[in-house]
Amino acid sequence: MSTTDRRFPKSVYRHGTEPDARFSLANERTFLAWIRTSLALLAGGVALETLGLGLHPGPRIAASVLLIVVGITTPVQAWVGWRRSERALRLNTPLPSANLALPLGIAVIVTGGLVLLGVILA
Amino acid sequence: MSGDTGGAAGHQGPEGGAQDRTSRPFDVGLQPERTALAWRRTALALIVAAVFGIRVLPTLLGAWALIPAGAGIALAVGILIASHRRYDQQHERLTTTDSNRIALPDGALHALVAVAAVLGGLASAAVVASVNLR
Repeated sequence: MSTTDRRFPKSVYRHGTEPDARFSLANERTFLAWIRTSLALLAGGVALETLGLGLHPGPRIAASVLLIVVGITTPVQAWVGWRRSERALRLNTPLPSANLALPLGIAVIVTGGLVLLGVILA
Repeated sequence: MSGDTGGAAGHQGPEGGAQDRTSRPFDVGLQPERTALAWRRTALALIVAAVFGIRVLPTLLGAWALIPAGAGIALAVGILIASHRRYDQQHERLTTTDSNRIALPDGALHALVAVAAVLGGLASAAVVASVNLR
């Protein structure tokens, strides 16, 4: 397996040995959950601007921009996190934490606050 | 994780014979199947997002919106098909003992899905900008 492993990305598969497939599969599902989170954030950002909800424009635009910025960042976390976890599984080292989880969580809280403000000011 | 308890049973050889071998799941926790369903709902979400593009992109591009929206739908459908093939490949590799010639699938589809999500994000940003800058 290690002699001619052509799989992409090399930065993962040139290291270590093949892990238990069930751990790789769990890592895949985590990646996919981040992708769906990204799509939900983007849908929220577009919906705020296109559905005509009657919110005050200032906080509404700020919330929409924040959701879309976070929605673009999330797939990066998904990919980087999947790659680092897969490498850790192959090398039998501790799994990395999701560095962007806290900033993303804070951004979602701020978005909620902005939408609330938009409702109050409307 | 439920699958952790089933490792030993899951790695039994194909005693069922050649006809039976692919009908036996790899893992009693059905991890490949759960992963296949996760791929499917992600691909369907991408398809919904791309179809939504037909509705919102015309504010930005007019009739030209059909080109990026159509490309997005084609990409999302391609990801759905590729994810089905991915499961078949995993299942074949994991449930047969003489299958070292088949490699387990790699991260190429992950990269494609992540790029598709980022492109969807850039399209979203463009739509929001066009709504506000008109």
